[in-house]
Amino acid sequence: MVQDESTADEPILEVGQFYDLVTAHLEAALGRRHPRWVRGEVAKVYEKTHLYLDLVDAGSTSSDTKRPVLNAHCWASQWNPLKRKLAEDGITLKPGVIVSCFGYVDLYAPQGRIGFTVTAIDVEGLLGDVARRRQELITRLREEGQLEANKNRPLSPVPLRVGLVASPGTEGYSDFTGQLLKSGYGFEILLVKTAVQGEAAPAQIVSALEALDQSGVDVICLVRGGGSKGDLACFDDERVARAIAAASTPVFTGIGHTGDESIADLVAHTRAITPTKLGEDIVNMVSQWHERNVRLPARRVLSASEAILDEATEYVGERRRTMIFAVRDRLRLEERHLRATRERLVLQSSHLLSAAQQMLASARQLLSAYDPVKRLAQGWAIVTNGDGRVVKQLDDLSPGDLVRVRLSDGSFESTVEKKDGETS
Amino acid sequence: MTIGDWNEAANELNEIVASFDEGEVSVDDLFVKLERATQIIESLESRLDATKAKVEELAPRIARVAEQE
Repeated sequence: MVQDESTADEPILEVGQFYDLVTAHLEAALGRRHPRWVRGEVAKVYEKTHLYLDLVDAGSTSSDTKRPVLNAHCWASQWNPLKRKLAEDGITLKPGVIVSCFGYVDLYAPQGRIGFTVTAIDVEGLLGDVARRRQELITRLREEGQLEANKNRPLSPVPLRVGLVASPGTEGYSDFTGQLLKSGYGFEILLVKTAVQGEAAPAQIVSALEALDQSGVDVICLVRGGGSKGDLACFDDERVARAIAAASTPVFTGIGHTGDESIADLVAHTRAITPTKLGEDIVNMVSQWHERNVRLPARRVLSASEAILDEATEYVGERRRTMIFAVRDRLRLEERHLRATRERLVLQSSHLLSAAQQMLASARQLLSAYDPVKRLAQGWAIVTNGDGRVVKQLDDLSPGDLVRVRLSDGSFESTVEKKDGETS
Repeated sequence: MTIGDWNEAANELNEIVASFDEGEVSVDDLFVKLERATQIIESLESRLDATKAKVEELAPRIARVAEQE
């Protein structure tokens, strides 16, 4: 055996003593009092109360048999709060994730293994990585036109046949279906149950979307109530995003709380901020269609019927009044005409009578001027022959004729003795 | 003499009224025209009443649709 002179005076160590010495040196340099950050890619991950990670250099391949591997572990007392934090932020430690761990070295002598006890994980860095990868996915989807694909799908104006991707019994499911059921409209809900969080969720959601897309529903609703980022991580999954984009049926999302916006929301035809709001939106669509196509026409029909009947009633009443007045006016006109005619006739008769009376008076006056009595009183006499005829000329007499001469107070007889003709 | 549909009847009635307005109705025609106008008016009123009754029967049903939530 060859012994180095520099260690010639040092005692030979037992194995345990050697490990104690190594441990002391390691702890002096990288121990609990001298923790360090170590960054590595998760090669393996295993959790059983505690977390066990195999970290390798990022980019190395498993075929490289000489690549360094750091067996890291995080005891439950540190891991449990870390695990909650990661879950809230939607981070899953899985192979391929690059993570920076804060901790210290430890040596497990029974197996001769150096390990690394993790006391903290750079969550912010992990978040940044997740955000970066999320943004890269969005950019890729945008460039491929996937963000607009489903938005261009024609939407039924009355989406009564609703395909639902959800987990029954969850608050989101109840909130959404509650809105549809209480609306009173005849929604037909075709449910495909899926997990809405966890590793299995994306594949199940994709399968549900594909099945509902073939079922002939009017709209597919992807529903999930609020939760941590981790709970909602499946809605940032590329497979889900692509399934939504590929669907020929419009896909609506109602995922999480106000403010949560997943990649599924971005790709969807229509996004509501909560399941409740999504239910309200769909009910409103149906309600608006119902209002436009049923209620409004019904009100117009009622209103028009009333107007037509009112107009017709008014028309018939007005015609009836007009006829009564027209006939009355016509009869009055005739009466007036007859009365005027009668009055005119009476007046004319009176005039005629008056004229006749005047004429008679004149005649009577004229006649009175020729009254023989008056003439006899004036000294005139009337001579009549034997026949009683008035003698008007000498030729009516002959000498010897007996004549009677009438005077005003009597008459006497006389005989014609001689005729003396007047010489003119 | 039969009475036509609502518009025909209304037109005939309007013509009768117009003839009165224009003083074209002789006393001999007055009774004939008045009798005809009365027949038309009664016919229109009868149809109107029948239509109103039908509308009153249907209106609540349409109103239920109109006000349906």
